[in-house]
Amino acid sequence: MQSIEMNKNELKMKNEDYDIFRKNNYYKRIKIVKRIVSHIVLILFSIFSVFPIYYVFITSLNPIGSLGDATLRDLLPTASSSLSNYYDILFRHPFLLWLRNTLLLTATSTLIGLVVAIISGLAFSRFKIPAKHALLYTLLILTLFPFTMLVIPFYFMFAQLHLLNTFIGLIIPYSAFALIYATYLIKTYVDNIPKDYEEAAQMDGLSRRGALFRILVPMAKPVIIFSLIVAFMGPYTDYALAGQFLTSSNKFTMAIGMYYISQGTITINYGAYSAFAVLMGIPIFIVFFVFQKYLVSGFSLSTYK
Amino acid sequence: MFNDKNSEGAINRIKDLINSSPIVKKIKSTKIYKKYEWRSIIYILPVILVLAFLNFYPILYTIYISFTNFNTKFFYNFYFIGITNYVYVLQTNALYTIIENTLVWSIGSTIVMVPAGFILALIMNQRGLRGKYLYRSMFLFPWAFPAFITILIWSNMLAFNGGVVNEIMNFFGLKSIAWLTSPKYAMISLILVNFWLSFPYYTFVYTSAVQSIPQELYEAAEMDGYGSIRTLTSVTLPLLRRQVAFITIFGFIFTWNNFYVPFLLTSGGPGISTQILITYSYQEAFSFDNFSLAAAYSVFSMLILLVFVVVANHYSKMMQVVY
Repeated sequence: MQSIEMNKNELKMKNEDYDIFRKNNYYKRIKIVKRIVSHIVLILFSIFSVFPIYYVFITSLNPIGSLGDATLRDLLPTASSSLSNYYDILFRHPFLLWLRNTLLLTATSTLIGLVVAIISGLAFSRFKIPAKHALLYTLLILTLFPFTMLVIPFYFMFAQLHLLNTFIGLIIPYSAFALIYATYLIKTYVDNIPKDYEEAAQMDGLSRRGALFRILVPMAKPVIIFSLIVAFMGPYTDYALAGQFLTSSNKFTMAIGMYYISQGTITINYGAYSAFAVLMGIPIFIVFFVFQKYLVSGFSLSTYK
Repeated sequence: MFNDKNSEGAINRIKDLINSSPIVKKIKSTKIYKKYEWRSIIYILPVILVLAFLNFYPILYTIYISFTNFNTKFFYNFYFIGITNYVYVLQTNALYTIIENTLVWSIGSTIVMVPAGFILALIMNQRGLRGKYLYRSMFLFPWAFPAFITILIWSNMLAFNGGVVNEIMNFFGLKSIAWLTSPKYAMISLILVNFWLSFPYYTFVYTSAVQSIPQELYEAAEMDGYGSIRTLTSVTLPLLRRQVAFITIFGFIFTWNNFYVPFLLTSGGPGISTQILITYSYQEAFSFDNFSLAAAYSVFSMLILLVFVVVANHYSKMMQVVY
């Protein structure tokens, strides 16, 4: 009797083992299927993301007169591929002038906006400012009102100040908007840095202000770089405001030039147009790749609450 | 010119005078005064100035000119005409088409790009997935190239003659489609381009959100024998509820206000079939010089968004992510 029962038990255990084995096998197979599906999805999305950039890059190398002449053969490098389109855009069109104007505007407004944003962002995070929450809430609500809608009132405001068609008239609104967004980002990021660091620095004899700026600014580097990139992008590609403010052609920025080319106001080879697009995009592109790791860590929403 | 010691003494004397006055003493002893650091206002003064002069004043100005007849005809002597602009806007059929377009555009974009970003983030967050960084770099392309340029590239790619999308379709024996110039496909093309532009952003945001969940929770879920879908519904989603709400709602608002995609791709055409509130307002102002009407459209857009945000915040409590 006993031996039979034992046998039964053994059999049961064996069955369970077999079940676990089968289950494991099943899970493994599901896992493999999951991996394959994941890779297929990711590869498809990668092709989708890269294709337009590849397209503009390849058309910038091939001699294409106008968009109507473009064929599928232009998607691959051919014997006639050369850098002549780049020569064309750089030296036969006012590209360098537009570049200079754009960089002047963008660099100045980003710098002003960011320096002020660091100061006010830190203050918002660490000081007991009266009506702080009301101010922050207003900041957030105001991001709902798009820049484009403010173009109409700005146009008349700056006309009254005689700042239309000047760079200062553009730098003021650009840096203001960089400032608001960056303040917000920096504030939320610094909130997540523990206060111990500054307190330790204060123990070591730094003043409160010194402790704040000397300790927290280096620690907030990811968000500062992130807001720098975001702040840079706005003026660099702005047409809505610049297109209305700047009227004389020697003050045009790259975005205005590009818009006029795309509308046919300025006629240009299609290949040269692509070369323009590549030249305008590449600097930002490089910056993004270099600072890639900050793009993820710069978001402070990520903090799990 | 000034003797340093003297001027310092003068300043100190003035300070003493102010501090010893009974009103100042009274203010300084109140609870509100002691609760805050009033001097720190200096640090945020630029923000306050910007808010006042570059946000509130222009918005109030917009609201003001929406009640006047400010256009090219009355450019120098415009006057208050009450709600005539609003009545006019409400009476034209255009407004309803435009609001409908705006809703289709923003809801249509949001419901494809936000879930896509979330799913891609989850896929990329799997442990031991090879080539994660390669894929992530690939996804960086649409985000890293300035949108202004890539929208114009897309408008060439979607062109009827010579556009690469149609060329590829012809290659496979399909007929060319008028992507941007037929009312049927124009909105779909806009949403497609916007999807291309924005899914990387959402992938990155959600990646950082998903990564912020402690790994132990996933391990615990695995120990309890949770499958991936059960882990998603009982660990990931409940923890990220507020973030998801915040990101979705702000994605919606951002799309609502997204000016460049419709403006550069179709400029509202054909007819007004892809015109959204903000592009219509811009065009009304700077193509037809009808500033007061443009302002009225802007105010409509602001009001709708404001109501939406208040209601959305009431239900999702999304603003708590911020504090």
